[in-house]
Amino acid sequence: MHAIARTFTLLGVDAREVRVEVDVRNGLPAFALVGLPDAAVRESRERVRAALANSGFEFPQRRITVNLAPADLRKAGPGFDLAIAAAVLAATGQLPAGALDDVALAGELALDGAVRAVPGTMAMAEAARRGAVRAIAVPAGSAPEAALIAGGRVIPFERLEQLRELGGEREPAAPEPVRPSSNGAGLADLADLRGQAGLRRALEVAAAGGHSILITGPPGAGKSMAARRLPSILPPLGPREAVEAAKVASACGRPVEPALAGRRPFRAPHHTISAAGLIGGGTPPRAGEATLAHHGVLFLDELPEFGRGALEALRQPLEEGTVNLVRARYAIELPCRFQLVAAANPCPCGCGPRSGGCTCDPAGVRAYESKLTGALADRIDISVHVEQPDLGSFTDPGEGSAAVRDRVLAARELALGRGDGRANAELEPGAVRLSPQCERRLAEAGLSAGLSGRGRERVIRLARTLADLDGRRRIAPGHLDEALSLRRRDR
Amino acid sequence: MSRPLRPWTLEPGARGYPASLTDLRPGERPRLHGLGDRSLIASVDERPAVTIVGSRNASGYGLRIAERLGHDLALAGITVVSGLARGIDAAAHRGALEGGGGTVAVLACGPEVVYPASNAALHERVLRSGALISEHPPGTAARRGFFVRRNRIMAALSAVTVIVEAAQPSGSLVTADRALELGRTVGAVPGQVGIRVAEGANDLIRDGAHLIRDAADVLDLLYGVGVRSPPGGPAPRSAPGPRPGPRLDPDLAAILGLLSTGCSTVDQLAVAAAVGARETAIALARLERLGYVAAEPLGGWSRTGLREPE
Repeated sequence: MHAIARTFTLLGVDAREVRVEVDVRNGLPAFALVGLPDAAVRESRERVRAALANSGFEFPQRRITVNLAPADLRKAGPGFDLAIAAAVLAATGQLPAGALDDVALAGELALDGAVRAVPGTMAMAEAARRGAVRAIAVPAGSAPEAALIAGGRVIPFERLEQLRELGGEREPAAPEPVRPSSNGAGLADLADLRGQAGLRRALEVAAAGGHSILITGPPGAGKSMAARRLPSILPPLGPREAVEAAKVASACGRPVEPALAGRRPFRAPHHTISAAGLIGGGTPPRAGEATLAHHGVLFLDELPEFGRGALEALRQPLEEGTVNLVRARYAIELPCRFQLVAAANPCPCGCGPRSGGCTCDPAGVRAYESKLTGALADRIDISVHVEQPDLGSFTDPGEGSAAVRDRVLAARELALGRGDGRANAELEPGAVRLSPQCERRLAEAGLSAGLSGRGRERVIRLARTLADLDGRRRIAPGHLDEALSLRRRDR
Repeated sequence: MSRPLRPWTLEPGARGYPASLTDLRPGERPRLHGLGDRSLIASVDERPAVTIVGSRNASGYGLRIAERLGHDLALAGITVVSGLARGIDAAAHRGALEGGGGTVAVLACGPEVVYPASNAALHERVLRSGALISEHPPGTAARRGFFVRRNRIMAALSAVTVIVEAAQPSGSLVTADRALELGRTVGAVPGQVGIRVAEGANDLIRDGAHLIRDAADVLDLLYGVGVRSPPGGPAPRSAPGPRPGPRLDPDLAAILGLLSTGCSTVDQLAVAAAVGARETAIALARLERLGYVAAEPLGGWSRTGLREPE
C-alpha cells in the first residue's frame, strides 16, 4: 500500500515543496525514514506513532518506509509530522483514497495528537497558491499569518483527528488573517535627544532619503540612543513592503503583527556575529540579520569591532538588496533591503584622539580607522560626529518624533512621486540633474576638498533629499553645501 | 617616469665632500653615491643642515609636527636631512619640499632604488628638487643592517638632529646617539605621555635633549636665541607662519573663530554660534571650500593652517 502527501520545507524565507511518500507492506514491524532528514525529522517517527495512537487511529504493525522527495534536499525541523501521519493513514486506508490529492499539510505533532505551530506558514501558503493544490492545512496557531496570502485557502488544524474532516462538510473554516498591531510597545521618541542639533538634522535627512548613516563619537555621546530612535521618524511600511517584511518574520518564527502595522524592523546584532549570522547561511539555510532587517534598519553598533569577514559579506547585499547564497546543496536568494546605521568610537580606547586623554597607539588607531573606512563604509552616505553634550544646558526635551516624522513623510512623498518609486538613497548615478550654478559649486568643492566620483553621487543624492525636505523641486546651492558637509568622507 | 639623471660619486677627501662627514672615524667615512643636486651636499658646511627623523608608525600629531618643522626650516633656508622612510621621515621631506627648500635623503639602498614603494612619488620629488645620497652604489637593494649604519651619515651631516616621535628602542634613537657621539646638538619634540611611539623622544628630553616645539626652537639652537640667519648669511626668505586666506563674511568668521575654542562638531558649533544645524553645516562646507577648515578622518571639524587676512 502506498500514499503521497504534500508538504513544504523552508529554504531561507521561501518554501520548497516536499512530497512525503509512504509505503506500508507486510514484514517485521519497522519505521524507516529516508530522504536526508535531520535529527528533528527523524524523531518525527516517535511523535507520529504516539499522536496516531492517541487520536483514535491505528498505527500499523507492519513495515513502513517514508521517503521525503526530492531526496537530495536536506529536510529540517518538525514541520513534516502532520504530512507523514496523513500519508501513513492514507496508505493504510484510514483516510479515504484521494483525500490528500489536492491539499498540502504542514505542522508539528504533540504526542497527544495536538498540532503545534511551525514557522514560515506565510511562505508555505504562497508556495501552495502557486502549486496545484486546493488548500493548505496548517496548525491553527500559524493559520492567521498564512491567511495573509491572498488567493490561497488555509485550513486551520488544531488536532490530528481533523484529518478525517478534510474535504468534508466539517472541514475547519478558513481563519481570520492576522490583524495589524504594534504589540503595544511604543517606539522610543526623539524628544529624548537633548540639544545635539547636528545629530538630529542628520537623522532626519537619513530618514527622509533612506540614506545610510555613520555616527562617530566617544562613549556616552548618545550614538546608540540616537540610532534606536530612527525607526520613530521613518515612514511606515507600504502595503507590499509590509507583507514582504511579515513573510520574513513568519519564516524566522517572529511575530508578524508589527510589520503589518507598518512598523519597520530594527535589528541590532552584537558585534561578535558571524558572516552567516549577518547575511544568512548554514545547512539548512537560514536568513541572517540583514534579511530580518528587510525594509527596516540594520544597526551595527561598534562597527569596527565587527569581524572583517562579516562586514565584507555585507557589501554585496547592501549594493543589491538581496543576498545570493550559493552552497554545494542549494542556491537561494534572500531579500535584504535595509537602511544601514552604524556607530563607532573615534579610536580603540573610545575617548577620541582630540580629547587629550587618548592613550591609543597610532598604529592601532590606523587599523581601527581602516576598518571604519573599509569596504562597507563605501556605501554609507552620511557621517556625523558627536561629542558628549553638556546636558546642564538642555533642560527642555527636544522636538518630538511626530513632528519630525511629518516632515520626513512629506519629503518621502515628494521623492516617491518623482516617478520610479525609489527613496533617494537608491537613485542611480545621473538620475538627478543639477543647475549649472550647482554643477560649478560641486566642481569647486571637488577641487578644494577632494571628491571622488562616488563621493559626488553621494552629495547629489543627499542634496536631493535636502531639497525634498524643503519642499523644493530644484536643488539650491545651499542644499548642495549642506550635503557636502553631511557626506561621509572617502579616504 | 624618472628623468634619467646621472649618478655621481664623492670620495672621502675629494673636493665637495662635506667636511662634517670627516668627523666620523676614518673607517666609517662613506664614499657617497648620489643623485640630484650635488651642490646641496657640498653646501652643508656653509648652509646649516638639520636632520629630522622619527618613527615609521607615527601618530597624526607627529606627522603634522614633522611636516611643519620641515616646511618652516626650509623657509628659513636650512637643508632638511632625513631617511625617506615612511612616517616622520617622509613628512619632514614633504614639508621641506613644500617650503621650497633643499632636502637631502640619506638612503639605506642604492640612491635610485625606491624603498619603501609607497614613497615612490616622494622619491621622485626629492630627486628633482633635492638630493638622494647613499653609501651603497646604484642597484643595491635595502638590507636589514644597512638602516642602522646609514644613521651615522644623517647624524654627521647636520648640525642639529631632531627626533619627532620614536619608540624605545628604535633606529631614530640610534641616530640621536650617533649625533651626541659626534658632538652634534640633539633636540626632541615632546609627545603625549603614555603613547609607545612618543616614549623615545620624551626619554631624550628627560635625559637632557633640547625641547623642540617649532622651527624657531631649532633656529635658536643653530644661531643663538632670537637670531634667524647665519652671521653674514642671506636672510630667510620669509618668516615662518600660517598663510593668510581670502576674506570671510562675519557669519563664516564666527564659525571659524569657534573652531579655535574647542568646538569640533556641528552640535557644539550650532549651540555656540546660536544658529541652526543646517546653517552651521552650510557654513562649514563654505569654509572647507575656501580652505579654512578640514573634516577630521575620525569625525569632527578642525582648522587648517590658513589664517584670516588682517
